[in-house]
Amino acid sequence: MKKVFVVLMVIAMVFLAVSCSKGKTETATKATTQGKVFNIYAWNEEFKGFFEKYYTVPEGVTVNWIINPSDNGIYQSKLDEALLNQANAAADDKIDMFLAEADYIGKYVDSEYTMDISKIGFTNASTQYEYTIKAASDSNGVCKGVSFQCCPAAVIYRKSIAKDVLGTDNPAEVQALIDTWEKFDAVAAQAKAKGYYMTASFAETFRTFSNNCTKPWVDANDKLQFDDMINAWIDQTENYIKNGYTLTAGVWDQEKTNQMFKDGKTMCFFGPAWYYNFCMTNAMDPVQGCVGDWCIVKGPQAYFWGGTWLLAATGSDNTEMLKDIFETFTKNEDVCSKLVSNENQFPNNTKVVEKFANDPTYGNTAILDGQNDIAVFAGLAKDIKWENHTNYDQLLNEGLQNKLQEYFKGTVDKETAMKNFYQYIKETYPSIKL
Amino acid sequence: MDHPRRKLTRKKSISYAKWGYIFIAPFFITYLFFTLIPQFLTVYNSFFESYRVGLKQIGPTFVGFRNYADLFSPDSSGTVLILKYAWNTLVIWFIGALPQFVVALLLAVLFTSTRLNIRGQGFFKTVIYMPNLIMAAAFSMLFFTLFSRVGPIQALLEQWGVVDQSFDFFSYKVTVRGMIALMNFLMWFGNTTIVLMAGIMGIDQTLFEAAKIDGANSVQVFFRVTMPLLMPIFVYCLITAMIGGVQMFDVPQILTKGSGQPNETARTLVMYLNGYLTNKNYGMAGAISVIIFIITGVLGGFVYKMLSAQYKTDKTPHRRARG
Amino acid sequence: MTKAKSNIENTMGRIQLIIIRVIVYTFMILLAVLCLFFFYLMVINSTRSNAQLATGFTLLPKGNFLVNLKNAWNDASINIPRGMLNSLIIAVSSALLTTYFSALTAYGVHVYDFRGKKFVFSFIMAIMMIPSQVSALGFVQMMNKLHLNNSFIPLIVPSIAAPVVFFYMKQYMESVLPLEVIDAARVDGSNEFRTFNTIVLPMLKPAIAVQMIFSFVSSWNNFFVPALLLDKAEKKTVPIMISQLRSADYSKFDMGKVYMFILLAILPVIVVYVFLSKSIIKGVTAGSVKG
Repeated sequence: MKKVFVVLMVIAMVFLAVSCSKGKTETATKATTQGKVFNIYAWNEEFKGFFEKYYTVPEGVTVNWIINPSDNGIYQSKLDEALLNQANAAADDKIDMFLAEADYIGKYVDSEYTMDISKIGFTNASTQYEYTIKAASDSNGVCKGVSFQCCPAAVIYRKSIAKDVLGTDNPAEVQALIDTWEKFDAVAAQAKAKGYYMTASFAETFRTFSNNCTKPWVDANDKLQFDDMINAWIDQTENYIKNGYTLTAGVWDQEKTNQMFKDGKTMCFFGPAWYYNFCMTNAMDPVQGCVGDWCIVKGPQAYFWGGTWLLAATGSDNTEMLKDIFETFTKNEDVCSKLVSNENQFPNNTKVVEKFANDPTYGNTAILDGQNDIAVFAGLAKDIKWENHTNYDQLLNEGLQNKLQEYFKGTVDKETAMKNFYQYIKETYPSIKL
Repeated sequence: MDHPRRKLTRKKSISYAKWGYIFIAPFFITYLFFTLIPQFLTVYNSFFESYRVGLKQIGPTFVGFRNYADLFSPDSSGTVLILKYAWNTLVIWFIGALPQFVVALLLAVLFTSTRLNIRGQGFFKTVIYMPNLIMAAAFSMLFFTLFSRVGPIQALLEQWGVVDQSFDFFSYKVTVRGMIALMNFLMWFGNTTIVLMAGIMGIDQTLFEAAKIDGANSVQVFFRVTMPLLMPIFVYCLITAMIGGVQMFDVPQILTKGSGQPNETARTLVMYLNGYLTNKNYGMAGAISVIIFIITGVLGGFVYKMLSAQYKTDKTPHRRARG
Repeated sequence: MTKAKSNIENTMGRIQLIIIRVIVYTFMILLAVLCLFFFYLMVINSTRSNAQLATGFTLLPKGNFLVNLKNAWNDASINIPRGMLNSLIIAVSSALLTTYFSALTAYGVHVYDFRGKKFVFSFIMAIMMIPSQVSALGFVQMMNKLHLNNSFIPLIVPSIAAPVVFFYMKQYMESVLPLEVIDAARVDGSNEFRTFNTIVLPMLKPAIAVQMIFSFVSSWNNFFVPALLLDKAEKKTVPIMISQLRSADYSKFDMGKVYMFILLAILPVIVVYVFLSKSIIKGVTAGSVKG
C-alpha cells in the first residue's frame, strides 16, 4: 500500500510542479495586481488567437476563456446556464463578453442578458457591414455587440483539376461555367467523367442553399417549415450521391479535409475567408499540401456562412475594456489590416476592405495563387442580407445534416432519416410543433 | 452453534453500540446529501413539465405521469423509443459480456490447473488486465480514429481486399455494436479472469483431490466442485458487469458522437438520458432516470437475493474451518 | 503387462497434455496480441505526422513523436497538462476518501452490534446496484444551486459513500480480522478510533491498496457527471478534453496530435500499472479469498 501511495504522490508532485511552472509564466505576463477578471465564453479558439495577438489587455486584468464545443448544443447549454446565474455570480465570475454565431445570435440579442453597447460608449461606424449590425440588434433595433469578421462565402476550387475538367483555370471563365446550379451540376458530371469529385462532402453546398431560404425554419406559431431551398439541397445531394459526384463525409470530417491534400480528387469547396485557416490546413501542409493551386469565385449562388459576433453581457464590470475590444476589432484599421494580411480574414471594416481590394500589389499567397480574394469577397459582401433567422438554426441545421447523412450513406431510407430528424427536434426543442 | 468467543465479544460490544453508529455516520451523511436527496429531486422532477427554450424556462408545471406516458407512447412508426434504447443497451452488453465470462472462466480454470502448469501467467495477467485501466473515453476515441474512413484499420483492410473504399465501419449496426462490445470485452475479461482465478484458488484444494480420487474427470470437477464453490465470486463479477452494462455511456457516446448511429442502434439508455440532461429538459430526464432506476432495481434485486443467500450459507462452514 | 499399459497411458497422457498446452499458449498469445494491438497502433501513430498518417497503416514508428508531444502539450485549446493535474487531484483525493471511509463503515458494521445493523447492511447491499446516473439530474441541479459546478467537491466528496468498496472491505474483514484483536486492544485501553486507525487499518493494507487503485482509475476515467458539471478550461478533466477531440471544431486537428492526446490520457494510469501491476493483481487475489 505504501508503494501505491508513494507512486501516486510522486506523480501528483511532478504534475503540480509542471503545471505550477506553466501557470507562473502565464500570470507573470498578465500581472494581476487589481484582481480584475474578464470572462469570455467561446466555442473555439479562433477569436482567442486574434485577441491574444492584436489586443493589448489593460494592466492588471486577467482574461479567462471558457471554451466549450458547439456540437450538440453544448456551448449554448453551458452559456445559458452561466447567463441565468449571472445575477448571483460574484463580480469576478460574471461573464463580460461572449461569442455567438449567426445560427443562434438572435436568442441572446433578444434577451435581457446582453447589453446595449451604446450605453458603454460604443457607436457603430459606417465602415461596419450593415448585416453584422442588424444581426446583433434586437427587435427594437438596440445593438448588443459587434462582429469582428464579415463572412461572404465563395467557391474555392483547385486550379489543376479545373484545368483538367474545364480546360481553364481562369476565375472569370470558371465562374461563367458554374454560375447557376444547372451548370454546376453539369460540371459535376464532367468532373466525374474525368475521375474527380465535384465536392467532398454531402453537406458542402448546404449553407449556400440554406442561406438563400425565403422563410425561417420555424414560423410565428412555432411550427416547423421546410423551405424550398432545403428541399432543393436534399434533391441535389441525392443526385450527387447517386452519381458519385460527392462523398458521404460530413463538412468537418477528416475524410473530406484529406481531399485537400495534393493528391486529393476534389474540385470545389464552399466557404468564406475563415475557411482557409479553419478547414484547409491540409492544403497548406508543407509536404502534402498544394498551396497556390486554389482560386475563388462566386459560384452558383451568393451566400454567407457563419461569423463570430462579440456580445456584451449584462452585468459586466469591465465595460471600458468591452468598448475597447469592440473598437479594436471593427474600427482599428491597423488591426483590421493585419487580420487580412497576416490571418487571411475578411474584416468587418469596409475602408480596410476597399484598401486591399483596390491594391494591385495585394494577393493571397498563403493558400491561393496570389488572387486578390478580398476583391472577390468585397463584391459578395455588399449583397448579404440578414433575414429568416431563428434561434433554433444551429441545432436544426446540424440535426438535419446528421440525420440525412445516414440516408445518403445508405444506412437508412429517407423516411426513417426524416423520422429521426423529427424525433431529434422533439428531444431538442419540445416547443416546436411538427 | 455460537462460539463461546463470539458470545463474549457480543456481550462486551453492547456498550460499544454507539461506535457502530459513529463509524457508519460519514457514509450515510454523504449518501443522504449526494445521492438520496438528488435521487428524490430526480423523481420529483419527473412529474413536472420543465424545459428550456433558449433562455426561457418553461414550467415547472405539474403534469402527473404525462412524461412517463410520453416515454412509452410509440412514435409514428410504432417504435417505443425507450424500449429500443433499452434493447440496444442489452444487446451490446450481452455480446460483450458473453465472451467476457466464457473466456475468463476458461482462462481461470486453465491457469489454476496444476496438471497443465501454465507458465508466463504473471506476464499474461498483466497484459490482459491492462485494458481495464484504460479510460473508456480515450479508448473509444482511439477506436474512432483507428476505424474511421481514413483510419489505419480501414486502410489495412482495403489493402488486403477485405473491404472496398465505400465500406464504413460506422454505417453498419453490426460493426458499430461489435466495436463497442469488443471494447467492453477487452476492458473487462482480464479483470474477470483474475477475480475468478483467485476464487478458484481459494477453494479448498483437498476437495479437488477427493473428486479426482472418486474418478471425476475435469469437466465433472468443473461443474460439480469448481462452479458451485465459485458461485459467490461469479455473482459478484456479474453484479459489477451488470452495473457497468446499464451505465454504458462513454464508449458509444464518444464513438458515435452522441448520435448512436447507425439509425440510433447504438444509442443506449444513458445516452438518451444525457441528451435530455444537456438540453435541460428536466421533466423527461427525470422520467428516464426513474425508468433506469427501476430496471437496475429489478435486475439488481435478483442478484441481491442470490448474493445474500450465498452470503448466509457460505459463512458458516468457512467460519468453522478457519476457527 | 500392467506396467506397459500404464506406460502407454502415461505417454498418451503426456502427448495429450502437450497438445492442450500448445492450444492454451496459442490462445493466450492471441488474446495478448488482441489486448495490445490497438494500443500498439496508438503508440505508432503518435510518432507519425498528420501527412504520414493520411498514408494509411503501418506497424513501424516514424520520427515525429517529439513534435507531436510538443504540439499536444502546448495546445491552446486543450490544455492537457492542466487536465491531467485536475484529474489527478480528483482521483487521488477520491481514492484516499473512498478507501478510508469504506473501511470505517465496514468496520462499524463488522465489529459492532447495534440496532438496525442488519438493515444497514442490507441497505448498502441494495444500493450497490444503483448507478450514479439515475440521480445525476438532481445532483447536477443541486450542485448548480449551491454554486458547486466548476468545483471539485461534488466529484470528490461523494466517494465517501461507495457501496462496492464497502462490500469488498466487509468481506475482507470477515476473512482477516479476528475480533480477538479488537478485544485485546480494548483490554490495552485503546479507544475505538485508535484501534481502527492504528491496528485495523494496517491489517487491511492489501485491500486498501487494491481499492485505492480501482478508485483512482475509475475516478481518472470518469466522464458522465464531470462533463455535466465542469465547463471552465482550468477545471476540465482529461476525459472531457478527450471527448472534445470528437467535436467538429477540432477536425482541423493534426491527427498525430490527436493520437498523442489519447496516449497522454492513458499514460499516467499505465505508469502506475507498470510499477504496481504485481501488487494490484496480488491484491485482487488477496482480497478475493473470502469467506
